[in-house]
Amino acid sequence: MTRLIEVPTQFDDRSFDQFAAAYAQAVDGGGERLLFDAHAAEWASPYGLVGLLAAGEAAARKGERPLLTAPANPDVVSYWARAGFFREAADLFEVHGKVPKVKVAVESEVLLPVTPVRAAEDVHAVVSTIQQRASAILSSELGLDPKATMGFAMALSESCQNIVEHAGTGGWVAVQAYNWRRKLARRVVVIAVADAGVGFRHSLEPTQAKRFGERWGDAAALEAALIQGVSRFRDPGRGQGLAGIRRYLARWEGKVAIRSGTARIAIVPRWDDDVPLKDGLPAFPGSQVLLIIPEQASEKGPGGAGGPSQQ
Amino acid sequence: MVHAVLQQSVAGFYADLVTRPTGRAVRENIERDLPPGSIAVMDFTGVGCLDYSCADEIVAKLVREKVKVLLLRGLTDAHREAIEPVLAGAGLAVLYERPDGALEGLGASEPAPALLDELVERRLAARNPGGSIRLTAA
Repeated sequence: MTRLIEVPTQFDDRSFDQFAAAYAQAVDGGGERLLFDAHAAEWASPYGLVGLLAAGEAAARKGERPLLTAPANPDVVSYWARAGFFREAADLFEVHGKVPKVKVAVESEVLLPVTPVRAAEDVHAVVSTIQQRASAILSSELGLDPKATMGFAMALSESCQNIVEHAGTGGWVAVQAYNWRRKLARRVVVIAVADAGVGFRHSLEPTQAKRFGERWGDAAALEAALIQGVSRFRDPGRGQGLAGIRRYLARWEGKVAIRSGTARIAIVPRWDDDVPLKDGLPAFPGSQVLLIIPEQASEKGPGGAGGPSQQ
Repeated sequence: MVHAVLQQSVAGFYADLVTRPTGRAVRENIERDLPPGSIAVMDFTGVGCLDYSCADEIVAKLVREKVKVLLLRGLTDAHREAIEPVLAGAGLAVLYERPDGALEGLGASEPAPALLDELVERRLAARNPGGSIRLTAA
């Protein structure tokens, strides 16, 4: 028997908890085979795509290789393929449905296709790729100072290193630019990083749990890492990465949100109405990081041209 | 040259100083030829991206554990933006050579004047009439 997990039709950080709830419920059922049903998917953000891979990896670890029904909409499935999703999914899922054989990342909006991160060498490759592809888009389309490109690469590097240093397993990163009509009527660049590893609470528990006492949990662990800059290592220089990401995003009015276990923390910029800290969410393995950097210049008018849109 | 050490320290050709393992490998390579308490110069020319973890692993750890004065040259604004908060957060400082040759402190403000004084006392640097401090021709 298989247990069904529906992939939300609009799959991004907002609908992720709905997906996580379905995942948690299906996993609760025991060792049955899981079927991730994305046939009705109409859109997925990079966060949705890397999150789905993390779920696939966690499911495969628990039992039989999970099934995945690809989106039925040809445009959607084609976009997922171009974004590099199916290249990674093939190793994790038994994929059903028509998946077109297309070249990965041939479009300007896919700054970095879904890319596995397992070791420091992968982070080097990611940083090198993003500098080649992203600098023109960051400065011309987002209106960022060309100097900010390096800061972007630094933020990306630190996000990926969280996987290498803390997850205890591999993960994925994806970077895309798109029109974000929903909140901003501006273009944004989104970095999404996800793993199905041990999560922040488990990583920080040996050094931090006692300090927090009864408050200790996923939310406290995220607060310790992102707000207080603590690390599981006793080395005095540790905890620089997330602090650096925060500085970079504060400068460019960006947003960072991290989900781990049953909690989610966000540094919320003025343009967003997200909640800074949520606890008691459906449990989901590992950690999922979202960085959003919005277009800075307003002279161009809303939207900009090209690229996928999100309502 | 830090860039050259990077090439010796990691597999593949990379111009970026990113990740702690890379930083550790580069620092250990540098430390091999560096007696404790020395005055060292690191040239970042040719280095692309420097992230915070690598800045801590290389620069902050050398200052904390190995050298008396560390002088950085060939820094871009982005390099400085990575190094400055890492050092300042740890109460550490280094010197850096601006493109015009003047030396300035980078990191925590308190230890920087003593570093400049150390170079002047050893006649490795001199105060110019304009007030700036530059390396002497050595």
